[in-house]
Amino acid sequence: MSTATTDTLPHSPDHGLVAEKSALGLTRPDHSKSFWVDWLTTVDHKKIGIMYGAAALFFFVVGGIEALIIRAQLAVPENDLISAQLYNQLFTMHGTTMIFLAVMPLSAAFFNYLVPLQIGARDVAFPRLNSFSLWTFMAGAIVLNASWFFQVMQYMGSEAFNLKSGTVTLTDIVPAVGWFGYAPLSSELYSGIGGDFWIISLQILGVASIAASLNFIVTIINMRAPGMKMMRMPVFTWMTLVTAFLIILAFPAITIALAELMFDRNFGTNFFRVSQGGQPILWQHLFWVFGHPEVYILILPAMGIVSEILPTFSRKPLFGYPIVIFSGAVIGFLGFAVWSHHMFTTGLGKIATAAFSLLTMAIAVPTGVKIFNWIGTLWGGRIKLTAPMIFALGFVWMFMMGGFSGIMHSSAPADAQQQDSYFVVAHFHYVLIGGSVLALIGGIYFWLPKVYGKMWTGALSNWVAGTIVVGLNITFFPMHFLGLLGMPRRTHTYLAVNEWGAMNMVCTIGAFILAMGILLFLIDIYLCVTKGKPAGNDPWDGRTLEWAISSPPKHYNFAAVPKIPARDCWFAHKYGSAKQKIGWQKEDHGIHMPSQSWWPLFASCGFLILGIAFPIKHAGVPYMGWLAILGLTILVFGIIMWSLEGPGGYHLHPEEEDGEDSKPAPTGSGAPVSEEVHR
Amino acid sequence: MFPGQNSLRIVSKFFALFTLALPLLFTGCAWTGRTSTLDPKGPIAQIQFDLFMITVYVCVFLFVVVGGAFLYVVWKYRERPGQPETPIPQNSHGNPLIEIGLIASSVFMLVIIAVPTVQAIWITHDMPDRPDSHLGAYYGGEFLSPGEEEEVLTIRAEGYQWWWAFEYPQLGLTTGNEFVIPAGKVVRLELRSKDVIHSFWLPKIAGKVDLIPGRNNWMWIQAGNSYNEWLLDQGLPPMQEGHRAEYENYLEAEVYDMYYGQCAEFCGDSHAYMLFRTKVVSPEEFEAWVAEQKQPAPAPDGGGDWGAWFARALGDPSSLAGDPIQEGAYLYHTKGTCIQCHKVEGSPSSNGVLGPDLTKVGSRTSLAAGWMDHMSADGGINAGKQYENLVDWIYASQDIKPGNLMYYGDNALQHIINPEDPDANPLTREEVAKIATWLQTLQ
Repeated sequence: MSTATTDTLPHSPDHGLVAEKSALGLTRPDHSKSFWVDWLTTVDHKKIGIMYGAAALFFFVVGGIEALIIRAQLAVPENDLISAQLYNQLFTMHGTTMIFLAVMPLSAAFFNYLVPLQIGARDVAFPRLNSFSLWTFMAGAIVLNASWFFQVMQYMGSEAFNLKSGTVTLTDIVPAVGWFGYAPLSSELYSGIGGDFWIISLQILGVASIAASLNFIVTIINMRAPGMKMMRMPVFTWMTLVTAFLIILAFPAITIALAELMFDRNFGTNFFRVSQGGQPILWQHLFWVFGHPEVYILILPAMGIVSEILPTFSRKPLFGYPIVIFSGAVIGFLGFAVWSHHMFTTGLGKIATAAFSLLTMAIAVPTGVKIFNWIGTLWGGRIKLTAPMIFALGFVWMFMMGGFSGIMHSSAPADAQQQDSYFVVAHFHYVLIGGSVLALIGGIYFWLPKVYGKMWTGALSNWVAGTIVVGLNITFFPMHFLGLLGMPRRTHTYLAVNEWGAMNMVCTIGAFILAMGILLFLIDIYLCVTKGKPAGNDPWDGRTLEWAISSPPKHYNFAAVPKIPARDCWFAHKYGSAKQKIGWQKEDHGIHMPSQSWWPLFASCGFLILGIAFPIKHAGVPYMGWLAILGLTILVFGIIMWSLEGPGGYHLHPEEEDGEDSKPAPTGSGAPVSEEVHR
Repeated sequence: MFPGQNSLRIVSKFFALFTLALPLLFTGCAWTGRTSTLDPKGPIAQIQFDLFMITVYVCVFLFVVVGGAFLYVVWKYRERPGQPETPIPQNSHGNPLIEIGLIASSVFMLVIIAVPTVQAIWITHDMPDRPDSHLGAYYGGEFLSPGEEEEVLTIRAEGYQWWWAFEYPQLGLTTGNEFVIPAGKVVRLELRSKDVIHSFWLPKIAGKVDLIPGRNNWMWIQAGNSYNEWLLDQGLPPMQEGHRAEYENYLEAEVYDMYYGQCAEFCGDSHAYMLFRTKVVSPEEFEAWVAEQKQPAPAPDGGGDWGAWFARALGDPSSLAGDPIQEGAYLYHTKGTCIQCHKVEGSPSSNGVLGPDLTKVGSRTSLAAGWMDHMSADGGINAGKQYENLVDWIYASQDIKPGNLMYYGDNALQHIINPEDPDANPLTREEVAKIATWLQTLQ
């Protein structure tokens, strides 16, 4: 990143903060004084990350409330608290929300915020595309949940949806097809327009995910600071890269499946219609070719976070860094070769069953390697039980438990008893809550002081961790036994004679304890934000580059370009030899910053309109087809304007220096940061 | 059977009690509950259970070793309060030998699971061809087509939203939601669906196989051990006669029973209400049951001539007054419109196929696909409860199983949103009671 590369840009180095007009004469909304304009048009990866995180936490709460209603319904046998249809809608929305609107965007929040900071970049490679990903995600999330609004209208007697005379004879407006949407239950014969809401929102979310992933791949490959070789990258950035590849390879499969299902439902094709020679099993293959890598899309970022936290608070480098990264890549690769273990009961035949069974066992090896290496990291370290560390240790333990039940149903004949029973529910909640969610919360504890510049207030975090882990185990451990005792999933009630009542009551109590833990967590965030003391640049004695800059970081991230001499570069800089100092290289022309833009938001609004109009059209509401076309037009127009508004960009000349107000190393070999490192 | 399975089984049962029953007792539940996979009653469920226990042992071992190492490390190397600042711990970056060793031992642990897994996949997919399981060996009745003495009993399980039809193609009978199989004999199940995907799960007998429209899935099941398998299980030499009485005692004590299953694939609104039950009986009882089930329903007046009864009933309905059985049958065939979907063998007009076959509905121990139970303690029918269930079900089936097709067909769900629909229940409770009275006689 020498000064020469920016000479070709169509502006002079000294125009400072003047917003630039494009070829069309449009002004991009840089430096707006308005809070709203600033956030809506932002291309700053940090602001986008914060918005991803806030939205994800919101939907995490929504999905959690759905889960609590589910648990309340199941607390006692033969309960009639809610109807079968509402129950089915709740578990469909709970699954879809938690996966696509909570855990994935929360991971995306970390990607956005951290990856450029960790690799020493000023922003992602395509800042406006990043903004487009965010707003498209929001559009998809709103479309999916808009179905609740229309469902309530329907309950309240609105005549808007004349379902009886419309093309749809079924009444669910909120999807009730399960997060897996198996054909033919998701066809127009067996589900209402909820199916359409589900399809279109997942398609929109898929666009957001693929766009974001391409962005991160290009960013990580191309935007690394000088000296930041691939094998010097922080593990979290590595896992982001693997996850991004998984997303761009896995999402096309579900895109195809959803398009086929949408065509079946709306345009009379016969992909899954048995009466016309279609094959419902095709859906399952396409869905799980996406669905299994999706599992790793949810867990690999969490593993990346844990691989940052454990070394920091053991004050040791990650044990076996290359093999941890290689394991992550192997998990990603094998993730595409095990999809049929979700289909062991579909009559695959001996050979396929055996092959997928063995491959599924094989995936336990790289996963186990990660656990061994985390323990190796702790070994001989100096373990400081801070809040992030407690969550990271909890992650290792709970994820290991989830891994064991995973090994149990890798054995296909044993899985024939476990498939679609509560045993599976127990398994993936251990992996997703005990795994992903614990790590993500740990990540928030770790990085919020960086993001907000304030430190956590007190010991509430211990209560948060304790309540969540206890609640998690009380909720989900008995579910193993419920499954073994024959309780199938996705049933809205069960007979008292089956003797599942007592354990279900325990599960329900646990779910409310877990919810209490999440509530405490939100309170802790509130306390940190309102009452926290300034965190300083490097509150945890961190290891990676983001701890070298101010908290919160300036919008240009780095005043000077860092030159990276080593892995764990900030730690090496603080404690290492003179050769391991980070070199700070200022650019003569100042910092080149991207301009903000309205068009990504505008284009995404097209998705919002399309997404809501399309399912409603299927319910027979007039003019909705035209509205859908309007939405598409807005989308296309927005993208065209975006490409025509010109590159924009401006230069900054910050006065301050990076790395200077880091606290001196407490003890040890390293000398405090001295002036010679800031060139 | 894989090597060492017998000794493993004994160890399995021992460990199962400890590792599994303790938490169950703790939460107040019986591990031999009626759908427990931990109490297998047939070779398939047994293999699946044994395999599960192998995975449990491996995982418990790993849990102790890895979890123990984890706890030890966290405890040993934790920073203690007041501990003086120490230099940065030695910064090792990994150790190839340790890594390779750990990978190799993980692979070894997985091989312990993988070998019996592959064996069990083959066992559960290859239906054994044992002469003692051939229909001809234990069933003395007539067959529909020649050559069937050489086949095992075949049952075609067909899943509908939300009930089951069980057809015995070799024996020419069809029943709904409850079926009967002989103990110790291999049974082939053909799994079919015409609407959405369902899954057949009879936990004590076998794990699931899905019923997928457009696919011809099948599975084999067996309730209890055959005589030879039982001999092996007892450690006796195979093919040895002279233990038949003890074998019969074993069947009596452990196998003859009602078994309970449920649809395990989400299949729409009333998925939770799609249950079924399987009665396991001796071959002799099975033969008697088949003979009984093949009898058509008698005419409602108790005679054998449906035609004459129809002529009389349709000619002068008032002549039926005072006999709720005949009145019920008349309502069933006329105002109730039941005949559009249901079949009663014998009746000339009740030939519907969209709902369960009702020819022997009075002999079944449950209603609404296993949700409404009226089995008496001795396994027979509790007639009072049965009558109550029939009335409740026919009168308000949409409240009990939302979305089912009774009365409303494709508009069933409309009824739920708008119960005041003018097409609402066409029958009064008194009329329903009469229909129930007649259906009870269909035994």
